Amino acid sequence: MTTPVLDIRDLSVSYHTDRGLLRALRHVNIQIQPGRIIGIVGESGCGKSTLIAAIIRLLAPNAQIDGGSVLFRRNDLLGLDPEDMRALRGDEISLVFQDPMTSLNPVMTIGRQMTNIQYRENRSKAQMLARATSLLERVGIADPAEQLKRYPHHLSGGMRQRVAIAMALMTEPALLIADEPTTALDATLEVQIIHRLQQLQRDFGCAILFISHHLGVIAELCDEVVVMYAGEVVESGTTRDVFLKARHPYTRKLLECDPARIEQATRNLPVIAGKLPDLVDIREGCVFRSRCDSSIDRCARQRPALDGGDHCAACHVAGQ
Amino acid sequence: MSSRSDFFRETFASLRKDPLGMMGLIIVVVILLSAIFASLLAPHDPLEVDVYNRLQDPTWQHLLGTDQLGRDVLSRVLFGGRIALKVALVAISVSLGVGLLLGMLAGFGPTWLDRLLVVCFDTLRSFPTIMFALAIVALIGPSLNTVIGVIIITSIPVYARIVRTQTQALRNQDFILAERAMGASTARILGDHILPNIAAPLLILASMDVPAVVGMEAGLSFLGLGVSPPTASWGSILNDGYSYLRNSPWPIIAGGIPLILVTLGFTFFGESLRDILDPKLRRKGGAS
Amino acid sequence: MSELLSVRDLRVRYRVDGGMTTMLDRNRRSYVDVVHGVSLNVGRGETLAVVGESGSGKTTLAMALCGLAPVLDGEVCFDGAVLTRGKDRYLQPDRRRIALMFQDAVGSLSPRMTVRKLLGEPFRIHSGLSDDPDRSALELMSMVGLTTDFADRYPHQLSGGQARRVCLARALAQKPDLLIADEPTAGLDVSIQGEVLNLLSDLQQELGLGIMIITHNLNIVRHVAEQMAIMYLGRFLEQGRSDRIIQRPRHPYTAALLAANPSTNPDAVPERIELTGEVPSLLQRPTGCEFRTRCPRAQADCRVSFPARESLNGKQAWNCFHAL
Repeated sequence: MTTPVLDIRDLSVSYHTDRGLLRALRHVNIQIQPGRIIGIVGESGCGKSTLIAAIIRLLAPNAQIDGGSVLFRRNDLLGLDPEDMRALRGDEISLVFQDPMTSLNPVMTIGRQMTNIQYRENRSKAQMLARATSLLERVGIADPAEQLKRYPHHLSGGMRQRVAIAMALMTEPALLIADEPTTALDATLEVQIIHRLQQLQRDFGCAILFISHHLGVIAELCDEVVVMYAGEVVESGTTRDVFLKARHPYTRKLLECDPARIEQATRNLPVIAGKLPDLVDIREGCVFRSRCDSSIDRCARQRPALDGGDHCAACHVAGQ
Repeated sequence: MSSRSDFFRETFASLRKDPLGMMGLIIVVVILLSAIFASLLAPHDPLEVDVYNRLQDPTWQHLLGTDQLGRDVLSRVLFGGRIALKVALVAISVSLGVGLLLGMLAGFGPTWLDRLLVVCFDTLRSFPTIMFALAIVALIGPSLNTVIGVIIITSIPVYARIVRTQTQALRNQDFILAERAMGASTARILGDHILPNIAAPLLILASMDVPAVVGMEAGLSFLGLGVSPPTASWGSILNDGYSYLRNSPWPIIAGGIPLILVTLGFTFFGESLRDILDPKLRRKGGAS
Repeated sequence: MSELLSVRDLRVRYRVDGGMTTMLDRNRRSYVDVVHGVSLNVGRGETLAVVGESGSGKTTLAMALCGLAPVLDGEVCFDGAVLTRGKDRYLQPDRRRIALMFQDAVGSLSPRMTVRKLLGEPFRIHSGLSDDPDRSALELMSMVGLTTDFADRYPHQLSGGQARRVCLARALAQKPDLLIADEPTAGLDVSIQGEVLNLLSDLQQELGLGIMIITHNLNIVRHVAEQMAIMYLGRFLEQGRSDRIIQRPRHPYTAALLAANPSTNPDAVPERIELTGEVPSLLQRPTGCEFRTRCPRAQADCRVSFPARESLNGKQAWNCFHAL
């Protein structure tokens, strides 16, 4: 049993808001083995952003950790002091965001930014530039030497995102966290970038935590997938298992809603009726109950635990 | 549900949390009240001359001493507040009003109108205020209205420029385009959609402008271009005090203190207001 | 022909202040043709989907039809009447009869107005739409599935889906004949995309609306639109009946777009047509067929001239020398 790169155990996070304590994450368990690509699927309000913020220790000031641990190669990130955490960020744990301008400094050339990140290594300027050029090539940027001289606003959205990915991989991190990196891009570009990412992952061997609400992209890119709903993990397993043999009612409904899956043209697209529960006022029992067709009495009284081994689901009536 | 009363309540609650802002508000209120109730608060008639007691140091009779004609400085300062108030209120509201109109027209209207108005604004602004004041005084003669007129003419371009920039920033926003797509008239768009969204920064600007305007009046009156004797204005008090500085420092101090207080008060209040009304600074923390 | 909207060869041109760079580099133009000759029809009770990626000009097309973008050339007929252009070259449509829903739903709502006040705008602008605007506003809210407690909310207090509904209610208040919806599902969770689209369909059936949907999401087109058009760099490369096009696309770009949708079936083998390179700048349009710089089927003749239109039974048309 290898040590997971990232082992999130029983993580719970809440926010102090005007209306009360908003319980954004509740007892989340996720494991990422080295070299694997894990996808997190979830819609708005599922807690993805809070999860990432908790992992990299950049939670908002009104947040609090209610419990649990985030083990990065056996070190609990939650217990690290800021100095050590900062050393890890960008080095062992890298990030790519939805908006590439989050990672790119608008007043510095790409080349300067890409050499700046290499400050930890003992390399000459020429070596750093060479490495930057080669990485830009690997993410599919034509004429990389030229692009190094340009500023971020000269590049298109797709190119900026490629640069962001190149920068994230420059330090050969053990874990790359990508938060909706292709959501803002056109479909044709998304596909190109996903493929590059796949290739790069094979070359670098890093683990990737890929968050997206694009089911198709997750199915194509990820080895394993975790489905989140309203702050909880409701299902997880290999991509094949979860997408072809979904066990949790939410996962099933989500897949049904994907318009691409619906072969027959229809004027009545499926939806998931109801709305998200109020996270300030969590009731007993299963969090999905109010929108579930298959609930039984037990669902109202007892919160289901994640169970089922490799392909697990938090559901009392989960199919086999 | 009135959005306006909520707005005031929320704003006031946030203001309470900011000590400097509260202090500013208190100072402003004190100054306003003392000016309004000057006739009740002043121990003496500000014009009453008593030459035998000229240039006295502060006593219980005359808390801030007397000036070169034996007039009670404190009373003159209190009544001077009325002048300051009048100038500030009239000058700022007129220049704000006119500046608002012209600025919105420039920012929203056709390019030729914009260019024309900007040329007018820049021309007016290129005149140094004092030169302008001297020219107007030469034409009309010195008086309080001259001062107010000069301040209005030099302030309109400043407000108009700011309104113009704010309007331009808004005119291509989706919600304005949506109104145009629906067929809303220009008047409706300016009045219902642009004005409310630029009002907050303007109000803050206006409140921070009060000390500047009061200072301008004081300066112009100091130079003899404003109120004529024996009317008491802070500027004329300073003017008189300057001439008799070697005999007694008190008139200068007394004339200067209210100016300092006005500046501090309105500046603290205005800055606090800006922090409160800026919507981007308001929401802190995640999962709102 | 009971065409509600008929557009012939529409062009939208914007000046680009090149200044020095324009003077020094003759190849760079000082204008961009964001819409470069577009022709389309929308019938009553019908839906047309305009599909394109960012930079294709689809939003500008919508703006031009609503009189918010300058039209260089072309003819637009609404309900049989040719639309005239104002002094600033903007079209002057009957603004009550065409309603536009913006891509940024929250941003298209005046930030200091409550939902109640926002829904009252159409009634204030166009007299005679309703005897009792307050009541009509509440009726509209329930039509789009918003409960009355939303009436006092401000735009920043609404979620993306809720704001979309407010925009739809506001659009319907005008009692339009044509509704143009710009990316009605962008940013919405998959589980509620269906709600907005179903609502549009239901209302279309009930009210006989013509709808033009602008989207980059090909997945929804088949379900919501009888007709579709694929837009690239301001031109339509393929257009016609959506079921035909989706089943058998003729233009390589259409095929690439259709194939660019990763399937949620992990076992599916993607028949991917991968495009190379980036979308060219509007300032430097490629000669001949503009798509050739990214097209896997491009050949020498594609450089020479823009392909003429070919069509099949009047139900599908495309511009390509080497169509599929």
